[in-house]
Formats: sequence, structure tokens, C-alpha cells
Amino acid sequence: MIRLRNVSKDFEGRFILRSLDLQVEAGEFIFLTGPSGAGKTTLLRLLYAAERPSEGEVWVAGRRVDQLQRSRLPLLRRKIGVIFQDFKLLRRKTVLENITFVLRIHGVPPRESNRRAQQVLKRLGLQHRQGALPDALSGGEQQRVAIARALAYQPRLILADEPTGNLDADLASELLSLLCDINYQGATVLVATHDHAILESIPARALVLHQGRIHYDGMWPP
Amino acid sequence: MMQHALNEGLLLLRQRAGVSTVLALALAVPIALAGVGMAVYRWLGPVAELSGTESSIAVLLHPDLDTAERQRWVAAQSTAHPDWRITEVSSEELVRRLRRWFPYLEDLVGTGDATMPPLIEVATSDLESLAVLEGQPEVLAVGPQSSVQQLLGQVARRLSWALAVLSAVLLSAAVLLAVVWVHLELYRHSDELTIMRLVGATEGTIRGPFVVAVGVSGVVAGMVAVFGSLAAANGLTRMVTVLGLPEVVVTPGILAMQLATAVMLPVTAAAFTLSRHAREEFDS
Repeated sequence: MIRLRNVSKDFEGRFILRSLDLQVEAGEFIFLTGPSGAGKTTLLRLLYAAERPSEGEVWVAGRRVDQLQRSRLPLLRRKIGVIFQDFKLLRRKTVLENITFVLRIHGVPPRESNRRAQQVLKRLGLQHRQGALPDALSGGEQQRVAIARALAYQPRLILADEPTGNLDADLASELLSLLCDINYQGATVLVATHDHAILESIPARALVLHQGRIHYDGMWPP
Repeated sequence: MMQHALNEGLLLLRQRAGVSTVLALALAVPIALAGVGMAVYRWLGPVAELSGTESSIAVLLHPDLDTAERQRWVAAQSTAHPDWRITEVSSEELVRRLRRWFPYLEDLVGTGDATMPPLIEVATSDLESLAVLEGQPEVLAVGPQSSVQQLLGQVARRLSWALAVLSAVLLSAAVLLAVVWVHLELYRHSDELTIMRLVGATEGTIRGPFVVAVGVSGVVAGMVAVFGSLAAANGLTRMVTVLGLPEVVVTPGILAMQLATAVMLPVTAAAFTLSRHAREEFDS
């Protein structure tokens, strides 16, 4: 599902990632962890083609992402559900519309979009907030909407950047079990987190990044 | 896709109804003025053409010139000025013309054509070019070199050019306004555009609502420009018909051009700016 070959990324000479090699098989559940500034978010951005590597090859779902043409980008991104650290919700749209909009982009008919959006909102305990605008929601609620949006179209790959950052322990645990369910159904899940409680909660493969290099790659807890 | 573009585009318009209306009116003004300018340009056309009409000017040559000298001089002028049509006026014709004005001419100068200076007529549309004849030893006098018609024509032609330039400047102002307007609107929605791209929206999906929003504003601007220029032309017609001059007409062609310009300018600006936004985001 994901393959990185000798990938480096630098911003004006400062290396964020250095010579990364990585292989993730379809259906894996992986934690990506490390201290702040280790390159977790940059690695995720490389995977959904928001950044291009300074060198190396990035392959996602059989496509070489670093050489992808602009016109092919939407097709790649429709295979990936991204849970952004800063939520990236459409401010002018309600909670429900934020989700149905993405489903409509994926070609889901309006009625089915509504049904599926409400289903996922119910699962994340947000059904009563479906008519609210994002600015009227708390940080935790916005994060759950971002999660709902990423899960609604059942992508083959889910990239989550600090998805539990604004959630309390119960909701964080609920989210993890949701991601596990989706993984169980066949999706590949990559969760970037620096929260050790999350890491300890389920046994899974973990990649520990440190100063742009993979410091540890194996089951967690070790 | 079309439904999405329409719904979202109208939503964008509703959210910015006031600003969109003001900008549509601002876009309508230069387009309306350009249309009126074109109508007046057309109206002045027949008068401006007078500046190009050919006038015939009389040139009296020195009486001492014999026929051979005169013919040599005429041939030399014809070669030097190919646009001149030079005709020699016979002595009999000159006498006939003079008699019309001076019935007692014969009593004064006697009969016979020996006393008549040789006269030629130069027909040209460029009267100013006759100035070269002044001071030539063979030339006794050059007739009046201006005609009221030509003068009127020249003024009308200059006015037409001024109007054409003004129309072009106004249309350029409209282009600038449309580009700035679209740029500001897209800047406001820049984050939204980025999010849409990140969740897999195609450029067509992203572009649609903006094209609809600026297109609708363009239609409003076009209608205002059309009705504005018709009203202005009507006002001008009322003034000039009092003087017995023809009406100032805004042709259907000009009206169609105004409408098309008002719609196409912002739509093209939106498509171009969105495309550039996408390219910059991709390249970064």
C-alpha cells in the first residue's frame, strides 16, 4: 500500500526527513510516533501529495505519488482518508454538509450521501450537531467531524495526524476502536501520534521517527 | 456537477450580495461608457469620412512660362506627387469662368487669351501637401487650401479616434476591475480551495461555483451596461436631433458585445486565477 525509497525532504537546506525506506502492506495498522519536529506530519503530507520529496520515491496504492500529474491528484486523494491535525473543515458548511460534500465528490448520490453522513455522525456522537457550523463547535467536536469526513467514504488508506489531540480519554478510546474496526474491514491505517497512552492501548506496528530517520520499526510495546 | 456548481455559486452570491452588486455596477460603468463611445464613433463616421474627400485647388502659374515649360513643370509635379490629379485649364475655360464673375472683364483687359495666366487644378485629399507649391518661381498663386467640409471631417476623425482610445482604456479598466474582484474573492476562499483539493475535489468541481457566481454578477453588469448605454444614446439623440442631425444608435452588435464582455471578463478571470492558484499550490 505504501512504499518509500530513500526519501528525503528538506526545507531550505534543513532536512526534515533523511533517506527513509519504508514498506506498509495493505491492511496494516501502524502508529507513527516520535517527538515534535521528528517529521511525522511531513511524512503524512508526502503520502497524500501535499509535499514532494526532495529526493527518493513515494508510492501509494500502486501509484508513484512524487511524479503524479496535477490532474491525477484528485483520484489519489479519493483513495485516502486524511484526518488533519488542524481539522481543515469548510467554514461555510454545516457539519452534515462537510461530510456530504466529500461523498458527493466521490460520486455518491445526494440521498445516499445524507444517509451515510448521518450514520457516521451518529457513530461519532455528533448527530445532534449536524446543522451547526464548524466555528460553533468545540475543538473535540471539530476533530470528530474531521474524523467522520475521513471515514465516511470508506477509503482504502487512512492517514490520521494526531487524531486524539483534542479528545478526552473516553472519546480517544472510542476513536481508536473505530479505526480498528475500519482496519479490520480491510483499510490500511497510519496514525501519527506522540501520545504514549494511545500507543500502549493496542498492540500494533510502530514507526518511531527521530530527527528525520526511522529510529525504530516494529511491534509496540517493544 | 452542474447542480453543485449552481447551488454553491448562488450560495457564494447570497453571502456576498452587497459586495457583488457594487462590483457588478462598477464593472457596468466602463462597459456602458465604452458602448456609448463606440456608438458615437459610428455616428461620427460619415462626418469623419469628409476629411478624406478630394478637393480641387486652383494654381496660377507664371504667365511667362511657355507651353513646353509649363508641361515640363506639370510632369515634374505629377512625378513628385503621385496622389495629385493635375489638370490644365484652358485659356478659354479660364476666360469663361472669369466672365461669370466679372462681366466687364473684356473692357478692362481686352480680348484674346494671351493675357490670361496659365491655370492648373490640383485635385487631392491631402490639401496640406500643396504647401510645397508656395514659393516656387513657376507658381504665381495657390488657391485657398482649406474647406469647411474637410475641417469638419478632420475634427470628427480626431474625435472618433479619441473615443476609440477612450473605449479601449475603459475596457482595460473593466478587465483590471474584473481581475482584482475575482482575485479578492478567491483570496477570501483560499483555505477552502485548499481543503477541497485535499479531499479529492477536481478542478472542475472547485471552479464551477466561482464561475457561476462571477458569471451571474457579469450578467447583471452586462444588463446594467446595456440599459445604461441605451439611455445615454437616447439622451444624445435628443440633443442632436434638435440640430437636424441623425440619431445616435447603439447597434445590437454593440449591445451583444457589452453583454459578452461583462460576462466573459470575470468568468475568464476566475478560470485563469483558479488555474494559477492550483498550479502554485501544486508546484509548492
